[in-house]
Parts: sequence; C-alpha cells; structure tokens
Amino acid sequence: MGGAVLALTGGAAVAAAVRPEKSEAFHFCGHIWTTGSCPNPLGMPRIDKHGYPLRPGDGRPIDNLGRRVNAQGYPVDASGTRLHGPDGQPLPRAPRTRLCEEWVKERYGHTSHTQGSWYRCCNNQIRKLADCCSKSSKRINGDASLVGYCWNGNRVFCVQYYDTGLSC
Amino acid sequence: MVETFTPAVCGSRRRQWLALTGFALGAVGASALVGAALGAVGAALGTQLSLVAAGLALVAAAREAGLLSFPLPQLRRQVPERWRFELPLPVWSVGYGAGLGAGFLTFQPVATFWVACAAAVALANPLAAASCFAAFGAGRALMTAWPRKGHDHATSAVEGLVRRRRLLLVANVTVLLVCAALLAAPSAGVASAQGIGSGLDPSARGTVLGRAQRDSGTRRVLVEPANTSPVVVQGAWSPSVDGHLLAYVDSGGIKVIDWSTGAPVAQVDGAVSRPALDWPRLAFVRTDASYKHLILANFSNPGAPTERQITKVVARNDLGRPSLASGRIAWHKVMGSGSRIYLQVLATGNRKIVARSKVAVLANPSLSSTRIVWVKQFSRTCGLFTRRLDSTHVRRLYRTTKKTRLLWTTALTGRTAYVTRWSQQTGASTLVRVNF
Repeated sequence: MGGAVLALTGGAAVAAAVRPEKSEAFHFCGHIWTTGSCPNPLGMPRIDKHGYPLRPGDGRPIDNLGRRVNAQGYPVDASGTRLHGPDGQPLPRAPRTRLCEEWVKERYGHTSHTQGSWYRCCNNQIRKLADCCSKSSKRINGDASLVGYCWNGNRVFCVQYYDTGLSC
Repeated sequence: MVETFTPAVCGSRRRQWLALTGFALGAVGASALVGAALGAVGAALGTQLSLVAAGLALVAAAREAGLLSFPLPQLRRQVPERWRFELPLPVWSVGYGAGLGAGFLTFQPVATFWVACAAAVALANPLAAASCFAAFGAGRALMTAWPRKGHDHATSAVEGLVRRRRLLLVANVTVLLVCAALLAAPSAGVASAQGIGSGLDPSARGTVLGRAQRDSGTRRVLVEPANTSPVVVQGAWSPSVDGHLLAYVDSGGIKVIDWSTGAPVAQVDGAVSRPALDWPRLAFVRTDASYKHLILANFSNPGAPTERQITKVVARNDLGRPSLASGRIAWHKVMGSGSRIYLQVLATGNRKIVARSKVAVLANPSLSSTRIVWVKQFSRTCGLFTRRLDSTHVRRLYRTTKKTRLLWTTALTGRTAYVTRWSQQTGASTLVRVNF
C-alpha cells in the first residue's frame, strides 16, 4: 500500500524503487536496451531476412495467426499436413506480412522501416537485431524514442531479430 | 475524515484544501483503477454475465431490505493512523483517498459496492467501468468535504446524516432493484451471446435458421423454423435459407429446394460451393484450376437463368462464402498480403471495402437490410464485428480468446447474429447466437 501511494505522488524513480515494473528490455538474447518488441503473432519478434514472422522456438515460417505454414503459405501441422477447418476442408491461407512495415503501420499508424542492425552471439549462432524505425517520438513501450541505428530522421520504435545460423 | 485533515486549532484553510484535493485525487484514481481492472476481467472472460450481476443485485436488495441476512466480504480496517505523523500531508491524504476509493480495503456497511463490482465485470469495458467507478471515488471525496460546507461543526453534520439512515437504506434498496432490472433487460448497447448447439455455417432469414452438421463423416443440413420441428436434408452442407427455400451443396453441386415440401426449385452443377440465396438470386463460388470466381445467378426465368461474375481471385487465395440481402452482396478475400470485406450494390455495381487489414483475417461477412457482420481473427483472439450499412462506426459484438474457441462463418437477421465457434484441436463446432 505504501509503495502504491508513493507511486502515485512521487517521482518515477521513487515508484520504481518501491515497485519494480515488469521490464520490456532484455527480453531476448542480444537485446540490451529498453525498446519493446515489434508486434508479432507469438510473443517474440523473430523474423526471416525479409522481415516476415518466424516461430520463435524453431524458426519455422508462420502466418499472422501464428500457425506454421508450408511453402505455399497454407497452415500445416507438425508433420506438414494441411490443417482442416470445422467443415473438414483444408484451411485457406491467412495473411503473412512483415512485422515492421505492415504490422506497425496498421497498429500504430506510423510508416516504418527496418533500418540499422547489430549483431550478437546467441545460442552459438549470430543473431542480427534490427530496429524498426519511424518518425514517432515514442517507442512502442511508451517512452521517448532514440535515434539508435536509424537514419533519415527516423527513430527507433520497436525491435526484432533474425537468427543467421552462422556459428560463433 | 475532514477533521483529520485539519484538527482543531491546528492547520489552515490552505492545508485543508490541499489535503481534500489530495484525498479526492487518490479516491477517484483508485476507484477508476479498480473499475478498469474489473472491466478488463469481464472483457477477458468474454462471457455474458449481466444476468449473474442482476441476480446478485436482487440478492443484495433483499439483504438491504432485511429479507435476507448474510455477512459481506470486507476488511474491517481504517486508514493507518500513523501515516498522518510519518508522511507528508500530500502523501498521506492521497493515500487515505486511494485506500477508501478502492472500496474493498475498509468496512462495507451495505452490499452495493459488491454489486457494482459484478456490474463492472458484466460491462466488460474497462473504460466505461473506470468512469462509473470514478463516480464512487468522487462520492467518497464529497463525503470528506460536505460536512464542512454550510455546517458549523462537522460532527453535527454527520449526525444529521445518520438520523436519515432509514431513508438512505430505502434509497439503496431502490437503486439495487433498478440495477437488477437494467442488468437483466436486453439492452441496445450490450450484446448477449448464447450457445445453441452443435453445427456450423449458419444461415438465417426471419425466424428460420439453417445450419450444417458433421458427424463421423456424415453431413447434413438442418432447417429450423420457429415453433416447428426441424427439417433434415442428408448428404448436404453449406446451407442458405430464404423463406421456404433452401440452397445447399451436395456431391453434384448446388441444389435449391422448397424445404417444407422437398420439391426441387433450381440447381447448379459442377465445382461450385458456398451458396447464398436471395431468391431469385443465387450467389456462389465456382472453382477452376486457376481461379475462384464469385458468380451471381438470376433465376427470374427459371428455364434460362443468367450468370455474371462479381469478382475472382487466384486459386491459392480465399474467396469467402458470400452473403446476399436486399439488393446487396458481400464477400471476403483473404490473401497473403492481407484480407478485405467487400460490399456491392447489385443494381448499380457500386462496390466498397467495408474493412481491410494487413494483419488480421477478416472473413465471412453476413448482410441484413441494414447491417453487416464479419469475423476478425488474430493469433490470440477472434471477434464478431458489426456496423450499419449507412455508418462507418464498427462495434464488436462477441469475442473469444483461445485456440479452442475460434470463429468461422456467420449469419445475420435483424438484430440477431449467429457465428460458428470451433476448436482447432478437435474440429468440433457449435453455433452461438448473439443478440444485440
């Protein structure tokens, strides 16, 4: 109760000392800043080299509904068999669009681009972390945005990552 | 409480106003947060609870009227006295306000607060619930300021209020009964959802409901007119009803029959599916090797029906089950790049996009003469949405949050929508009726 009172009346520093917030930063290997993840189907912003969503655990391509998809984009199960709907027919394709360029624009209204990246060794392979940059003065987690590795007047809005598979 | 802010011969008018302001901010803020949290819980549950809340209001009214007797959940605590001596005035006054504004941290002389909590969950709207609960906090704040307003002595003001306790209790019972009535009554602003048995692909026109059912590989269509036994068509699926007529798909194509007599009316053979009937018009999807075509057939001359193509998509994309009503046709397109709901006026050919998304799956629209509904699916939630045809305001009617509760095809008649709710794991489906 005392912590809550201080959070209401005191400064952010006091409130943080009393009741630490759930951190948006450091939430995946290689990410050492406080920028939140770009919006994504399954909770972690793993992408392929073109910016399309991948399943975080194993890097399989997924659609916007988080379902694993085959090369044609149809949802499949673990064995690669197409999933069926309640009518017994194979399920149709769902959209599969880029987290930065499409998801951010639709959810937050910003025109955004993947710009700037840095590399870390994670799980014995090189991970590329990429900023999703826009003109927004705030990051996806609400605090002020930084220029980071963005260019052309853009600032960091959210972050995503691509596992290269190269050993390190 | 007001004498706590400025004890006798101690403090100033400025101190008192500072404390009252802090108390009010704490009370309103805390109560709004509680309301928002309860509204969020209701939204997350995704189930209609207004009748449960109405029942609680009735039980509470009975208790307050002395007809029932049971203890209320409460914390028999007062504000921490020592805060006044250990913390600065702005801090402890806000703290006192927050503690009392939250509602559940102190005595509960009546059951009304808990009924308000149940109503906030039933409302399932965090913003609206926060606004309502903020009024509770404002009331708390008012009670700290009121005894000093126009009264010589705060204590005498409070004693005067206590003398009117009987009147206040009667008013409280009345308010609880009114709340029960409002919560129980169907409201234009609240949609109520109810499962109505297994099935999928609903179709509704007036008082007639059609649905498909699958059971161990066998398929059938049920036509369920109000107050009459259902009519069953075996080996059929994907129904569309229009009065006494039923269109459905079977192994040969699409059939249109009079479901009350079984008499055939029309048929379309070949690789066709997803009929929508608004006689003498029949819309359906024809699939060939390269494309899916949305076709509108006109059976005004049954001997020589005419067809025209409304739209087409490449075969790997989805062209959804169309809906025909009152001279309009609606359909969806789902592609790798996004999805859209289309609406076209048949007489003029004017077409517009009702909804579009590059993230969600928008699918399975249904039309009435005044409204359109459709399903919007994300990775974690599905929603049934509606808007009037002459408005751009979109409203959500129903929402599910698990992969065992996905939404599929829809139907709409008047202010009643139907939607298929199904499980990805089992494939089982039920129909949900949503009155709004």
